[in-house]
Amino acid sequence: MVRADFLERVRRYSFLLTIGFAVYLGYAAYAGHIMLRLDEYRGIYNSAWLGSLMALVASAFLSLVGFYIVKNSIQRDQDTRVGRILATTPMTKAFYTLAKTASNFAVLASMVLVMAAAAVCMQFLRAEDSHLDWWALLAPLFLLSLPCMAFTAALAVLFETLPILRTGMGNVIYFFLWSFLLIGPAPSVMEKRNQPIPAIAYFADFTGVISTMGQMQATVRGIDSEYKGGSSLSIGGGGEQPPSKRFVWRGLTWNMALFLGRLTWTVGAMVLGLIAAAFFHRFDPAREWRARASSPSPAAGGAADAVLAEPPPKAEQSAAHLTPLPQTRARNSLLGLVGAELRLMLKGKRWWWYVVAAGLSVACLVSPLESARGGVLIAAWIWPILVWSSMGARERRNETEALIFSSARALPRQLPAVWMAGVVVALLTGGGVGLRLLVRGDMVGLAAFLAGACFIPSLALALGVWSGSSKAFEAIYTAWWYVGPAHHTPGIDFMGVSAASSQPEVFAAAALALVAVAYWGRRVRMGYA
Amino acid sequence: MGTFTECCAFCIHGWLAGGTLRLSIERVSKQYGRGPWALREFSLELGTGVLGLLGPNGAGKTTLMSILATITRATEGRVTWNGSDVAANPDALRSALGYLPQDFGVYPNLNAVEFLEYLAAVKGLDAVASRKRIDELLNLVNLADVRKRPLGGYSGGMKQRIGIAQALLNDPKLLIVDEPTAGLDPEERVRFRNLLSELSGERIVILSTHIVSDVEATATEIAMISQGRLVAHASPEELLRKVEGRVWEWVLPSAELNAARQRYLISNTTRRSDGVHARVLGENPPSGAQPVPPNLEDAYLYCLSQHRAAAVAA
Repeated sequence: MVRADFLERVRRYSFLLTIGFAVYLGYAAYAGHIMLRLDEYRGIYNSAWLGSLMALVASAFLSLVGFYIVKNSIQRDQDTRVGRILATTPMTKAFYTLAKTASNFAVLASMVLVMAAAAVCMQFLRAEDSHLDWWALLAPLFLLSLPCMAFTAALAVLFETLPILRTGMGNVIYFFLWSFLLIGPAPSVMEKRNQPIPAIAYFADFTGVISTMGQMQATVRGIDSEYKGGSSLSIGGGGEQPPSKRFVWRGLTWNMALFLGRLTWTVGAMVLGLIAAAFFHRFDPAREWRARASSPSPAAGGAADAVLAEPPPKAEQSAAHLTPLPQTRARNSLLGLVGAELRLMLKGKRWWWYVVAAGLSVACLVSPLESARGGVLIAAWIWPILVWSSMGARERRNETEALIFSSARALPRQLPAVWMAGVVVALLTGGGVGLRLLVRGDMVGLAAFLAGACFIPSLALALGVWSGSSKAFEAIYTAWWYVGPAHHTPGIDFMGVSAASSQPEVFAAAALALVAVAYWGRRVRMGYA
Repeated sequence: MGTFTECCAFCIHGWLAGGTLRLSIERVSKQYGRGPWALREFSLELGTGVLGLLGPNGAGKTTLMSILATITRATEGRVTWNGSDVAANPDALRSALGYLPQDFGVYPNLNAVEFLEYLAAVKGLDAVASRKRIDELLNLVNLADVRKRPLGGYSGGMKQRIGIAQALLNDPKLLIVDEPTAGLDPEERVRFRNLLSELSGERIVILSTHIVSDVEATATEIAMISQGRLVAHASPEELLRKVEGRVWEWVLPSAELNAARQRYLISNTTRRSDGVHARVLGENPPSGAQPVPPNLEDAYLYCLSQHRAAAVAA
């Protein structure tokens, strides 16, 4: 079952993209876009340093991106209806969830293997130390990264079995869980810079970053008593100068606590896989329907009925009695379509979703403007993430493409209507801030607000059209929202939450480009424009 | 007795008497990637009436329907709608098109009315006129009682009826229905056939199916497709005439049935007290077989078998 599932995945085009991402990570490390440094120090590019670098990169990034890549294994059996066949076999639920965990792990492990290959290439390309020490190179990847991948794989399966976490909300929640796991024991370790790493830190070290960095810091401290204990694994370098000093890193010292710590995460993965079995619905249509239903069962005959009873037959109606349609097209057909798209986007939510949305909208109007812009708006524009994430992907996910693409002027009407509806959602939830900026005469702030209101649905539409799934936007937008607007980070604050971080012209241009990308993607999928 | 060539020759009647509606399919071929050709040099002229497109699974019916519905482009050839090239001006056809795909989905959170209103908006229809038409269509397909229930709770047959309703939303002049009776119970199947017959007077209807009885009840012309090629195109009567004198009823012991299937083309078997009554198709009947009037299924199977034999010989 693991083999079949793995083969099913690797024969898809999306797997090439997955491997491509791993290759990119390797390249980014080689080119210095991903930098591991200890203040002004870095290790010489020997096998131990490169193995550790690649292991940390793999653990830190693949545990985030990889989760979203593999969090579809049970859904795939559902969508293909293979699950209904599996449910009729003697297969136990535990067997199924453990097999899915193993299959997820196989995909993530294949990405780690790519990074191992990248580490070998990097050592020869950098040519600072040509001696290849296989143990020093591979041990961090296999003993640090793989347990992290196993736990990530198991989390993906567990999330798929739990009612709320299997939805887009789970994709959002995982980002914050990952952030917590990533940082984890760091504060307690960082406080004790001149002391050995406490054993508990090894057991709480999800990615192996703490274990590795701690030992590296101890090594540098042994060379340079002035070393203050800083270390980082960064993307893009943050504008800093490359490290000017070198040291020889001979690899991790594998003590019992470190080894047992990694084993704990591996065993933890198996435990999660077993826990997932308890929640797995075994493709029972009744349990699937109850999980999906947002209202009490309308079917006669009790909760076991998953579908409506057929309506009673009526006297035969005649097609000859159908009222002919007027020959002229509707005058405001685009506005009508925007309204229809908006209704489609907003329908089906729980009542409290609308209450919170309304509350955020009101808060944008009544809070002090600075806190509304720098705080409430941030919340107001993460709340509808699951509304935006369906843009562009809904037609493929619900198999309505044939109905829509065969309609006249579907591309020049329906796609813009979807985008406009997305902008309306942004304006409905956060429009109070825009209105107050206008009243105050802050045209720059208003421009940043409007750019954000356009950028978000543009990003959603482009990602939805090209990926055919809502997951890409949910993952990317959550991370971007957190790192950018939530932290007022200049350059990536697409909401313009503060004057210092606003770049309306950049994000307006980006919105335009993304709409063009979405249009191109939709055009490719349609037989004719 | 006619030969295979006479039976399956291109008896193209050309729907030249069909008024202003004309759909021309000119040597259309379709290849997916670098794989096999799903459709090869398919040509047909259509006017008002119901064309039954018959063929086995994998024959290319859905590929052809997708091309005509402008979902996918032909690799070669041309489709014109009332003289206008569809590749150059697809919206001219789309404006007049009603399409029921073989596989389609719905939006589970919408109810029937909302879903049809949404599709009416996508098709650019007037909202007020659409509402009245939607009410009528839901009555027509017997879903008026469940109009306000979410589509996510509908059975397969109910979803199929929603599909039929949406195909009729814009009062199409070209109605393409691909395997429309899938999931319908026998009563609904009869209702649908009656509906198609009522609709056929002023429009072109293309009914694509592998179920002969669906075509038998409604089609005024039949096209047979096999392995991506047009095998036959004629009226039901002409097809039946071509196979007249080639259909036999043969009573044999059930133990001999398997061996008989190896030697003869058998279209149907019925078990009775005196043995198995098998309908045998061919020029040379088994000993003791009696001639019987042919039906459309006999004609379909006979033409297909002749086409395959000719393909093998070639």
